[in-house]
Amino acid sequence: MLLAFGNFTADPSVNLQLLIGGLALGAIYAVVALGFVLVYKSTDVLNLAHGEFLMLGAYFALTFLISENLNFFLGVFVLLLVMLVFGLLVHYGIMRRMVGQGFFAIVLITLGIATIIRALLLIFYGPTERARLDLLPQGSFEVGGATVRYVDLIIFGVVAACVLLFFLFFKYTRLGLHMRAVADDIEAAAAMGIDPDKVYAMTWAAAMVMAGIGGLLFGHVTGAIDRSIEAIGLRAFPAAVVGGLTSLGGSIVGGLVVGVIEQFANGHLGTKWREPVAFSVMFVVLLVRPTGLWGRKDLERV
Amino acid sequence: MSSDRLDLRIEDLTVVYGGVTALDNVNITVPPGGFVTVLGANGAGKTTLVRSITSLLYLHKGRVRRGSITLGGESILDKKSPDIVKAGVAQVPEGRKLFPNLTVKENLLCGAASRSDVNAIDDSLEQNLELFPQLRPLLNQTAGLLSGGEQQMVAVGRALMSDPALLICDELSLGLAPKIVHRLFELLTEINERRGTSILVIEQNASLALQHAADAYVLELGRVLIEGTADELRGNPMVQELYLGGGGEAHTSYAAIERPSRRTETHGRRPPVSET
Repeated sequence: MLLAFGNFTADPSVNLQLLIGGLALGAIYAVVALGFVLVYKSTDVLNLAHGEFLMLGAYFALTFLISENLNFFLGVFVLLLVMLVFGLLVHYGIMRRMVGQGFFAIVLITLGIATIIRALLLIFYGPTERARLDLLPQGSFEVGGATVRYVDLIIFGVVAACVLLFFLFFKYTRLGLHMRAVADDIEAAAAMGIDPDKVYAMTWAAAMVMAGIGGLLFGHVTGAIDRSIEAIGLRAFPAAVVGGLTSLGGSIVGGLVVGVIEQFANGHLGTKWREPVAFSVMFVVLLVRPTGLWGRKDLERV
Repeated sequence: MSSDRLDLRIEDLTVVYGGVTALDNVNITVPPGGFVTVLGANGAGKTTLVRSITSLLYLHKGRVRRGSITLGGESILDKKSPDIVKAGVAQVPEGRKLFPNLTVKENLLCGAASRSDVNAIDDSLEQNLELFPQLRPLLNQTAGLLSGGEQQMVAVGRALMSDPALLICDELSLGLAPKIVHRLFELLTEINERRGTSILVIEQNASLALQHAADAYVLELGRVLIEGTADELRGNPMVQELYLGGGGEAHTSYAAIERPSRRTETHGRRPPVSET
């Protein structure tokens, strides 16, 4: 029976390679999970369009960095700026009207947004797939018999920096404080003179910028850029849930844990086991801790 | 200390949730530096009154059908809630409504959302800690873990952080030990006398509110039933019977008192519950 599960190997270098691949994949999951967490934490919306946001980022990266051939840093700046504007558009054009509506009505709206983004990308970019991005250093080096790609290291560093920035932002800035206040109790926040509308707009803008960064990074490691890369949103979902959906640090740990588990399932059990194992981990975590590993349990003394 | 002395005038205010009239032609005035209480049982429209003043009706699908609310002569009816806080109205919401996952200090700082002068905010924080010395060692505690009394102090302190001209307290006494409630009312009186901050207290605990307030209104089923000075209301047999535990000489029967009925304009649907 065990044989059906594929070939287990105790070779340390193979396992090290799987670990490194898992951490690299996990870092991508973490970026995506961070986007889920950001929106969920501050607006209570489960944004199922985040994978599409990321795809939008990847296609815009193609436009600004490859087609327009802008200087790398200028191109990234323009990319993130455009993503920010799209985030504001999502809020002021659509989500703002949904404030106060039921949870599932809003989730369905995000599915609608996802469909619109897929359709727009098809209209403007056509159905042909594009080669992946190659703007980050392409080489690799060996550690203990395993190959480490520079691009994975860069992704790792960028994700770590984003998390640190968000953490400092939420902890030490006024807007960050107001975002947490709105997340805790929107009516009390409004009563204190915090404008929930502005806070929500900033949240969507920040989520889009995160998706821009995610798209830029993922665009470097995906096979090719086409309209199927939005599936990364669904694949990163267990990472966000395992992390607890409300914790920035949780989204990172969740991303890495799920990434590594997937790679080991992939290497030892075969590719078809990758996603079933990831979702099984999510179920088990939810059974033991319904709010995820670091999820918020609302503190309320009655 | 407060920025300005402003009077609050509510005139002919009618508020509806869907088809249900929650406030019907209500007139209430808080003079500059005044201490006013609005008494009433559950469902009298007290919380609706607070939401109307602070422009939070929209969160509960309510709207003002008629009437005006002015602060210092300027209409605040069409302003958004952040602008109303900026204009000088702060509130201690019913049930405290602290941000449970934020620390005490962060809660207090949220109260200063309408201000930008960092030094002035620091001064207000320090004033608050002088007013509530118990809070000083708790500044970095998560607010949701404090006792009810401590939470209510944070809620009052948070409202004061906007340096308001008018402080509205909705059901301050709810769920708290009498001793703590007494202390809070003493502090409100102190704030009122020392800083000249106008105070509007919405209360079920009539005897305590009438001890501290200068003027009082009794709200019932959305209408002002009785109004006058606090002394007059304390002597009013109906108030004694209904709100002060029937200690007075006149024993009017509860059923004999003529009560206005809530005027509804529903279309056969059961309206959403308005009071929380």
